[in-house]
Amino acid sequence: MTQDLAELSRVLYSPTAIALYLSAAFVYLYALTTTVGRREERERGRKAQMLGAVLTVLGLTAHIAHEIIRGIVQSRLPLGNMFEVTSLMALVGILVGVGYLTFVRKRPELNGFALLGGALLMGMSMLLYAEPGPLMPILDTWWRPFHVSMLVAAMGIFAAAFVFTGLYLLRDTGERAVAAARTSVTRGSTVGAAYVGDLDGGGPDLDDPDARDHDAEYRKALRAGIPVVKLAVGTFVVTGMVSWVWWVTEESTRVGVTRFLTVNLVMVAAALLARWFVPYLPSTATLDGLAHRTVAFGFIMWTVGTIAGAMWAEVSWGRFWGWDPKETGAFLTWVAYAGYLHARATRGVQGRKAAWIGIGAFVVMMGTYLIANYVIVGLHSYAEL
Amino acid sequence: MSTESTLPPEPNPAIRRPSRRPEPGGPFAFVWGSLKMAWRWLIRMRTALYLLGVLALLTVVATAVPQEPNVPSTVGRWLSGEEGPGAGVSRVLDAFGAFDVYGSGPFLALTMLLFISLTACLIPRIKAWIRLVRTSKPPLVRHLGGQDQVATFTTDRTPDEVHATAQKVLGDRHWRLRAHEGDPPEERTAKPAQVAGEKGLWSREGGSLLFHLSFYVLLAAIIFGQLLTFEGQRGIVEGDIGFRDTAVSYWSYNPGRWFDETDHAGWRLDLDTFHVDWVRDPLAAGAGQPTEFRSEVTVTPPDGEPYQTVIDSNRPAMIDGMRVTQLDWGYAPRVVVEVDGEVVYDAFVNATASDGGFFSGAVKAPAAEPDVGLELFFYPFAPEGEDGQPIPTGAPWDDAPMLLFRQYRGDLQLGATQQTVNELDTSGLESEGGAFLRPGQSVELGDATISYPEHRRWVGYQVSSRPQIPALLAGAGLLVAGLIPALYAYRRRLWVLAMRDEVTGRILVTVAGRAFQRPEAFEAEHAAIVAELSTATGGGHDEAAEPPDRSDGSGHPRATEDRTDHDDRPDHDDLTEAPTIRDRRTDVLPAPARSGPPSEVVRR
Repeated sequence: MTQDLAELSRVLYSPTAIALYLSAAFVYLYALTTTVGRREERERGRKAQMLGAVLTVLGLTAHIAHEIIRGIVQSRLPLGNMFEVTSLMALVGILVGVGYLTFVRKRPELNGFALLGGALLMGMSMLLYAEPGPLMPILDTWWRPFHVSMLVAAMGIFAAAFVFTGLYLLRDTGERAVAAARTSVTRGSTVGAAYVGDLDGGGPDLDDPDARDHDAEYRKALRAGIPVVKLAVGTFVVTGMVSWVWWVTEESTRVGVTRFLTVNLVMVAAALLARWFVPYLPSTATLDGLAHRTVAFGFIMWTVGTIAGAMWAEVSWGRFWGWDPKETGAFLTWVAYAGYLHARATRGVQGRKAAWIGIGAFVVMMGTYLIANYVIVGLHSYAEL
Repeated sequence: MSTESTLPPEPNPAIRRPSRRPEPGGPFAFVWGSLKMAWRWLIRMRTALYLLGVLALLTVVATAVPQEPNVPSTVGRWLSGEEGPGAGVSRVLDAFGAFDVYGSGPFLALTMLLFISLTACLIPRIKAWIRLVRTSKPPLVRHLGGQDQVATFTTDRTPDEVHATAQKVLGDRHWRLRAHEGDPPEERTAKPAQVAGEKGLWSREGGSLLFHLSFYVLLAAIIFGQLLTFEGQRGIVEGDIGFRDTAVSYWSYNPGRWFDETDHAGWRLDLDTFHVDWVRDPLAAGAGQPTEFRSEVTVTPPDGEPYQTVIDSNRPAMIDGMRVTQLDWGYAPRVVVEVDGEVVYDAFVNATASDGGFFSGAVKAPAAEPDVGLELFFYPFAPEGEDGQPIPTGAPWDDAPMLLFRQYRGDLQLGATQQTVNELDTSGLESEGGAFLRPGQSVELGDATISYPEHRRWVGYQVSSRPQIPALLAGAGLLVAGLIPALYAYRRRLWVLAMRDEVTGRILVTVAGRAFQRPEAFEAEHAAIVAELSTATGGGHDEAAEPPDRSDGSGHPRATEDRTDHDDRPDHDDLTEAPTIRDRRTDVLPAPARSGPPSEVVRR
């Protein structure tokens, strides 16, 4: 019976929830492309968005059912090992990302990216899959759900923020390339630049074929402004900063390298996919704002979760802070995101540079999460079990 | 898009008075100039970010390199070249203080520089904030139509009634309103009265200041904590003699500089029973995981009745202000050593868990001639195989315990060398062979008889006193209390103006608003205020003028976050945002309460 339930919870997670999220993501992404199309296309896009919403709700249902059944199987909250933490991180990321975009920002057309990010995270969590089991006694306290769920929620929110930051950088790169091409027409002079190829001026009438062609040209220019090779190599390198952990810690090098390459290539594919959708994104200011607000929310959660962790450590280990690898990781992540929030407000750093700090902060978070569990053994290394 | 590009340059916020002290000339001019440059560099926001980055790098070093205060033995092995990158590299690391990063010069210097930078940035901000809270008023505005959010409706109430209603509506929504009593009379007559309100201006900056000030509380708590704290460790064997809280009875003793030995209360702790268990079924999920760690102890206060209590993984005991935490546990085989019929050693040995699934310890018996030393390896679960030989397994439960030992004779050098209780320094000893024993067995090796009558378990307790905890909690509370408004209090201004429309003869009410952060969230709030005001004054909702530049869709820049904050903020900002007391938009009237000369205000 228990075995059957455990199997059911696994099937609900993978492939059911992952597949539902992925299909919802693609439906939403399709809907995004119709926002610049003809009236009937936009109508189709609206219907697609509704389908996407249904698929998302089904995916969330499967995901939550998975968490509940897994909780019943092991008679405890599913927050005890890396698989469970990553799975919940994806759930929070999707809930917060989709909920924020749909209900607060009223921009449901961007849901596709949040869902795609969540599905990728869930795919990664399958690399960490562990069968349900009991909990170490030191974890068996009310502190754990508080401290861990706080931090896991913050991680999910940071994951959503990472998606927005990445989209911001892509969009910004495209816009800059277009702007640079335009000033080069006027030989570097900005005087009169506004009159040359005013590709994005004034809302074009989408049902007027001329304006549509005009806009299509601009979209093509935006996409062309992002160099493919640079993006692919860059994504590979940045992902590699985290995914090397699998290479190093997997017992068989062949499996390790396969995992390393799988993670990296999936991320590269996601980046290239995002590049294709760049023309349909909202302005850089909106994306930057989305990233900032999500980081701000995650930062508060992270702060509270870390303080709760220190309080628990004082009770459980008799010291509130001991620079354990995980504690160092929490500190580093906190400093990195504090750096992002400050950079965003600092002259000369805000904008692209701040966004890169945001990307770096996410790398720090994921890196310390994996390293502290796999590479360096510390007091927090329960998750390996 | 915001006013960024069309704004006239910002007037100097304050004129720096030339310092009265003459600057040194001659050869010192260079030194003075460099010092000034260094100071200006230090207090820049960018520098603070770099310093934070370096601090983060140092913590990474501390994670990769073993730290002396935590694992001195590993550091020793690194320095001797047995482990790590080799003795040469370790010496270089040592020279840079990498083995004690958190106590090293660079770390402390960085922390100090960060705090100096923070202080230099906070002092003017605190002054400005106090000035803001004490003297600033929501400014009046001449052209309401130029604001981001504008809506109008008509009503039949008089302007004064509308203004009174607006004040009530905004007041109920916790807006800070401009008190018109203080306005100079000529201003009151020069233009129609209006209701001006603002919110978030104090709280956003105040929260940010509180967040940063909490670091001083935390720093003070950490420094004083280091001086006042006490931490000691001691292991107790089940049912054996416990220990008394005195300076000499701890195995490891780390008092702070201000912790006095007389601060020990002298209570006594005995371990009655220790419960430990695991998932024993190798096929069950989570096989081998521990499921229970619990000690039942008896506490005897220095002047009171003994009482029994339980120490659990997450439930330490508090005895006389000292926190007793379970840290460690192991098996304690009782070993008896007799030489020529004379007992030279009879005690429980605290064997500690090793990576190989066994528990290791040492017996040092200097009473024998020559000294007897035993290296012990305790295997809790070593069942007999088919050939009768024990098969050691890694399982930690004591269903088939076996004690394996190796005997050494010679000089233990107890006085001469520094050694740990659990390890034998075999340099001056000769091996006399070894054997394994089951409980109750004994064996003769040379003139020595070694017996293993029984084993128990021991638990390592940490006793700590941390008077800084309340201060740390207070600091953490302030940090969170400041962080939330610093990130979530949005600065907004709102004006309500009721005027008689000369054409229709009705009263035209204009509600104009301006959001400094998250304008898109302000749209809804503005609309709600307009609706409430319109209902309250019986007005007909007429039009809601959209801001001129609000376009949407791809490719069209849309002003969103922090629109005014983009290029006019001072260097230390956002969590460190400096308050803009005066609106720099050209249509804003000076706030008369401020004593600044009118020429500071840019007028159209």
